[in-house]
Amino acid sequence: MTVAAAAAHDDHGPAKGIKRWLFTTNHKDIGTMYLIFSLIMFFAGGAMALIIRSELMNPGLQFVHPEFFNQMTTMHALIMVFGAVMPAFVGLANWMIPLMIGAPDMALPRMNNWSFWILPVAFGLLGSTLFMPGGAPASGWTMYPPLVLQTGDAFPFLIFSVHLMGLSSIMGAINIIVTILNMRAPDMWLLKMPMFVWTWLITAYLLIAVMPVLAGAVTMLLTDQFFGTSFFLAAGGGDPVMFQHIFWFFGHPEVYIMILPAFGVVSEIIPTFSRKPLFGHDSMVYAASCIAFLSFIVWAHHMFTVGMPLSGQLFFMFATMLIAVPTGVKIFNWIATMWRGAMTFETPMLFSLGFVFLFSIGGFSGLMLAIAPADIQYHDTYFVVAHFHYVLVPGSVFAIMAGAYFWLPKWTGHMYNEAAGKLHFWLSTIFVNLTFFPMHFLGLAGMPRRIPDYSTQFADFNWLASVGAIGFGLSQLVFVYVLVTAKKGATATDRVWEAPRGLEWTVPSPAPYHTFDTPPVKRVHEEAFE
Amino acid sequence: MTERDAEQRRNTRRIALIMGGIAVAFYLGFILMGVLRS
Repeated sequence: MTVAAAAAHDDHGPAKGIKRWLFTTNHKDIGTMYLIFSLIMFFAGGAMALIIRSELMNPGLQFVHPEFFNQMTTMHALIMVFGAVMPAFVGLANWMIPLMIGAPDMALPRMNNWSFWILPVAFGLLGSTLFMPGGAPASGWTMYPPLVLQTGDAFPFLIFSVHLMGLSSIMGAINIIVTILNMRAPDMWLLKMPMFVWTWLITAYLLIAVMPVLAGAVTMLLTDQFFGTSFFLAAGGGDPVMFQHIFWFFGHPEVYIMILPAFGVVSEIIPTFSRKPLFGHDSMVYAASCIAFLSFIVWAHHMFTVGMPLSGQLFFMFATMLIAVPTGVKIFNWIATMWRGAMTFETPMLFSLGFVFLFSIGGFSGLMLAIAPADIQYHDTYFVVAHFHYVLVPGSVFAIMAGAYFWLPKWTGHMYNEAAGKLHFWLSTIFVNLTFFPMHFLGLAGMPRRIPDYSTQFADFNWLASVGAIGFGLSQLVFVYVLVTAKKGATATDRVWEAPRGLEWTVPSPAPYHTFDTPPVKRVHEEAFE
Repeated sequence: MTERDAEQRRNTRRIALIMGGIAVAFYLGFILMGVLRS
């Protein structure tokens, strides 16, 4: 059923009770479910991170068996990547893309419902492996063979759940592409689209290209384990390194799947609180497209140590460094947007500024890792852990938090508790740095990743990182407080902030259950964009 | 249903099928690459 057909009978409100959530085809309901699901997964993955950091707080084995430690690192990564960060951005996309482009809903509303409800099933399957003989998968989220083939009863559950996550992502991506290409307000040509919409369009193309690659890789693992093939088994003539190539052909674009929508969120927020239009909108679009293209030709920088020809090392090294150029364009454009702007520092802006500074640290350490001879030293050390956590936590997670605070009044119709929001930001910023910055030093000193015990020379920085992790975890309870009290604040106006731009601010707060049943007229469009 | 609605429905179906086709092609293509290489 297309949205146009659905709109013919959508003068009713939401259904009552559990049926509303099980059978809803409304983009706002589905967006809310994605966001709540990702928050639950954020706390589940966070609890696993705290088990890891508790174990590493002091040298020597403290609380858990090493095998269980490996299960925690694996499950933490899978849950945070596929259960927390990606669904959070899909939730923001579901809520905001139709509002931003003046569409009444997503183009394929029933598939949208299916995309979401596959996820709890996938993570139910994955979580159930914790209670199986042999425990949960423990081979790391990269699932490298032959190690992953030693997984116990959990193995087929891991493979099936990864397939389901991929299916959910691909269906979500198809929906987003169709919606953006086909359901924009009549006067909204492509280069007029808000940056959040643009970055999601590019992300959706990335998802369609790489999630099937991951699915193909894990299908081959499944047949190697149960059907006698030898895709990756050296004993049967297969090649374990081929898995690494295929995995990282998915894995590196996956990094940009988790960061491009973050760029989009920040590109909406910084202009609003600088009271200026986004500097260089079109160049931001081209930069995001360029980053997406480059993400396909850099995968082997994750595998410099497996051995490859010098020409291969040089190609992947320089291609990786090239990504700094379009990323730099974005950073400088955000700074230029703020230049001489009438800036104020509400919570969404604080999280966005934190994002710009701290993501840049992750970007710079990425450049260091791109240097092939240096990477051979850094490989599999805590320097890598520090790098990707700077990209993903004060990068992606801060952008999600920024987006949540930015659009919360539009969702609830009330202003959130600003003091609590700012407290959340400052505690998160202090503790995220306390957690991850010492890991740079640990890595440079040679501490390997994925170990439950370590030499005493690493004790001090590990203790600091663990204190930071516990502090960061507790800080997120402030966010829960903000959400629980979200409807107790002052009534939000339609525009919410002083200088927002875009169609989403032309609808009432809270956004009605059905919006833009008829496409917005040109006048509204011009007010929002010119 | 207006002419615009009908066209939108056709486009929705066409784009969704193309994207789904690309996804299936990538899935099968990479498995085929594995088959040919092993």
